[in-house]
Amino acid sequence: MTHAIPQKLKKYLPENFHFDPSENTATFEVPIDTIVATIKEMYADEALSLKIITATDERNESGYFKIWYVFGAPKENIFLVPFICVKNADEFPSVSPFIHEAWNYERKIKTFFGLDPAGHPKKEAMILHENWPRGVFPLRNDFNWQTRPAIARERYDFQKVAGEGIYEISVGPIHAGIIEPGHFRFSVAGEEIVLLEPRLGYTHKGSVKLFGILPLEGKLRLSEKISGDSSFSHSLAFSQAIERLAGIDVPERARYLRTVYAELERLANHFGDIGAIMLDTGFNFGGAHGARLREMIMQINERTTGSRFLRGVNTIGGVTKDIAMGTKQRLIGELDAIIKDFSEVIAVAEQSSSLINRLKETGVTPYDEAKNHGVIGVAGKAVGINKDARIDYPYAAYDRLIPKIPLYQSGDVYARFHVRIEEAYASHRLITEALKKIPDGTAAAAIDKINLKKDATAVGIVEGWRGDIVYFITTGPRGEISGVDVRDPSFLNWTILGYAGQGNMVPDFPLINKSFNLSYTGNDL
Amino acid sequence: MITILLWTLQLFLLPMIAPLMLGIIRKMKAVLQNRAGAGIFQPYKDIWKLLHKDEIISTDASWLFRAAPYIVFAVTLAAAAGIPTFAAFLSNKFTGDLLALVYLLAIGTFFLALAGMDAGSSFGGFGSSREMTVAALAEGGLIFSLFALAVIAKTTNLFSIAAAISLNGHSFFLPIFIAFTGFLIVLLAETARFPFDNPATHLELTMIHEAMILEYSGKKLALMEWASANKLAIFIALGSSLFFPWGIAISPSMGAIAFGLGIFALKILVFCAAIAALESSIAKFRFFRLPDLLLTSFILGIIAIGMVIM
Repeated sequence: MTHAIPQKLKKYLPENFHFDPSENTATFEVPIDTIVATIKEMYADEALSLKIITATDERNESGYFKIWYVFGAPKENIFLVPFICVKNADEFPSVSPFIHEAWNYERKIKTFFGLDPAGHPKKEAMILHENWPRGVFPLRNDFNWQTRPAIARERYDFQKVAGEGIYEISVGPIHAGIIEPGHFRFSVAGEEIVLLEPRLGYTHKGSVKLFGILPLEGKLRLSEKISGDSSFSHSLAFSQAIERLAGIDVPERARYLRTVYAELERLANHFGDIGAIMLDTGFNFGGAHGARLREMIMQINERTTGSRFLRGVNTIGGVTKDIAMGTKQRLIGELDAIIKDFSEVIAVAEQSSSLINRLKETGVTPYDEAKNHGVIGVAGKAVGINKDARIDYPYAAYDRLIPKIPLYQSGDVYARFHVRIEEAYASHRLITEALKKIPDGTAAAAIDKINLKKDATAVGIVEGWRGDIVYFITTGPRGEISGVDVRDPSFLNWTILGYAGQGNMVPDFPLINKSFNLSYTGNDL
Repeated sequence: MITILLWTLQLFLLPMIAPLMLGIIRKMKAVLQNRAGAGIFQPYKDIWKLLHKDEIISTDASWLFRAAPYIVFAVTLAAAAGIPTFAAFLSNKFTGDLLALVYLLAIGTFFLALAGMDAGSSFGGFGSSREMTVAALAEGGLIFSLFALAVIAKTTNLFSIAAAISLNGHSFFLPIFIAFTGFLIVLLAETARFPFDNPATHLELTMIHEAMILEYSGKKLALMEWASANKLAIFIALGSSLFFPWGIAISPSMGAIAFGLGIFALKILVFCAAIAALESSIAKFRFFRLPDLLLTSFILGIIAIGMVIM
């Protein structure tokens, strides 16, 4: 697939910019003193959408850090990537005072690269806790990944709410259910949540650093484990970026298969979440059926690929597991039965006034806050933010199989519940269509040796079931991978949870949290 | 000899079968939710297991925290001894009084709530706060629905009420039914069942009863669990023996007693099935909708009394 830069976006590029049509990124250096103005202008442009801000340490090669600002151009399926070079300095101008969404990206750069975003309103370390020593920056090249820094004993202060009758409830990081660790600090007046501050980072395990150490095959396997419930989407985004850098054409059949697997993953997780939302209101009927439906999809996954979580399925250039002709018909029949089953469960749920009463007007995310925090995916669609990587940056077979995107305005638990229900129906339609139209051919391109372009960049983007997953990969002068950064949708959506909780009652919080169902590990990396 | 046996049965029947009722409800819920579920004797095994475990007590806890399980458990024993179950002729004049019962249960709730706050964890604190909100509002409904029966029977002794209702209750069918509806709401509130509380949840933030006993472990937890099972048994027995006493043994003949025991078991099963069905078919209510429900129970009690007096 080749691309061209549309006229309306050329104004951002330097004059005489040469665009390599086999790439999906247009990278160009911007002088450090004009970067804030450039980024502000690009962010305000409706035709662009900020995807990730990340840094790479290229001091060994060229003597400076680079900070990349990746903007996607929806519908065009290309990415404009202005970057700055930070030479002999440990600070760079912050865009956060103007772009709220950039806030945490810049904090992360500060924490892991030790580059100070000058002008950032809140520069405290994130993800790494107060036991991590100051002045040790793990993503710099001179930090050996096997180093065990001394334990520091800094303080962490939660936001304080003062006033009569205000008390604090601290929940976690260990919870009663089998969920990931995260701490929530509530300041409460009676039963009403006045302030909710989530604290994450408990599952930080140095994944980004590990991407720099593992061989290519290991990187692919690691991508499956960034967030286990999105194994397929993550590895797909990673593979797509590598395929772009290696100039590999993925066979048509593999594109359809990837679509099928990606939608199976979405279906399984949406079923699970729809059930879990109902279970958290105490509506046991729905909870039991949600778990059952999810399990049926997981068993289909296991039967067709050998892995319940679709691990080991993606490979550079395609997929390792094909779906045979006989299995195809059986799969279509099974999925038809499952979706009919699902629609019956939903019909009962919609009849339950006690359930609907719990879901409506609970955990409302205000549109403006959601927009400013860059909220995407299910949570975004529930407030009417129309972003979906399958439509905006078509990959696999989504340029021919178009999903229907459900949009709601209310931004409450009910809206998030319903976005999932409609996406589940849409996934079923996509899988059936993909299986019917799947062309003959091989499931993976024949590759002797993977040679990556030198000094290049690539973006891999996939709409996971939570929202879009972005991989940004850079290569060095010898065609080696010099940087991999990943942005799980949870990284953005976590920021809105506090707003969604505010003003609600404490006993409704678990339900609100479940309606987002964000990944802790995807955020903490 | 028979009398001693009967009295022993009367005094200890409810605490002995209380865990079984829990087990039956859980099994019924499991079946309704397409699960296999644990056996109906699992709650006994759980209590037995907990009784053999060591416990951890917060260093912030005072004597109240240590004493509360014994008080709460003892109160349920005393209350259970005074509830008519299978025989109305075994009149326990000591604790078998309507007002004595209501306030015995209130003592238990009081100490439970204090113990919840005593360990100083925030979960215990809001558990107690929620429990007291519910308990304060439920008390009116409980007293008035039982008073409707007392007015019909012209006595506050529970055994005499059971005997009187079983003889001439049919002529007061409507007020009894209305009072029972009010009582049922209180039953669900007091025993921490749907739509008030979710006894099966693991979500600390949504708990009421469970949040108060979250700090307990080992033997004391066993007593707390057993006490809450007793409370469920007390309310189910009240519901079945006072509002629907038909079949209860009025004379000490062997036939009547055997029939009374059988019919009591049947009534318990009906109550368990109703609770299991309710918990499998509706969602828990929002906390702030609960007072409306409890107020309804209070009003139903008053209407029932009004109908009897008029």
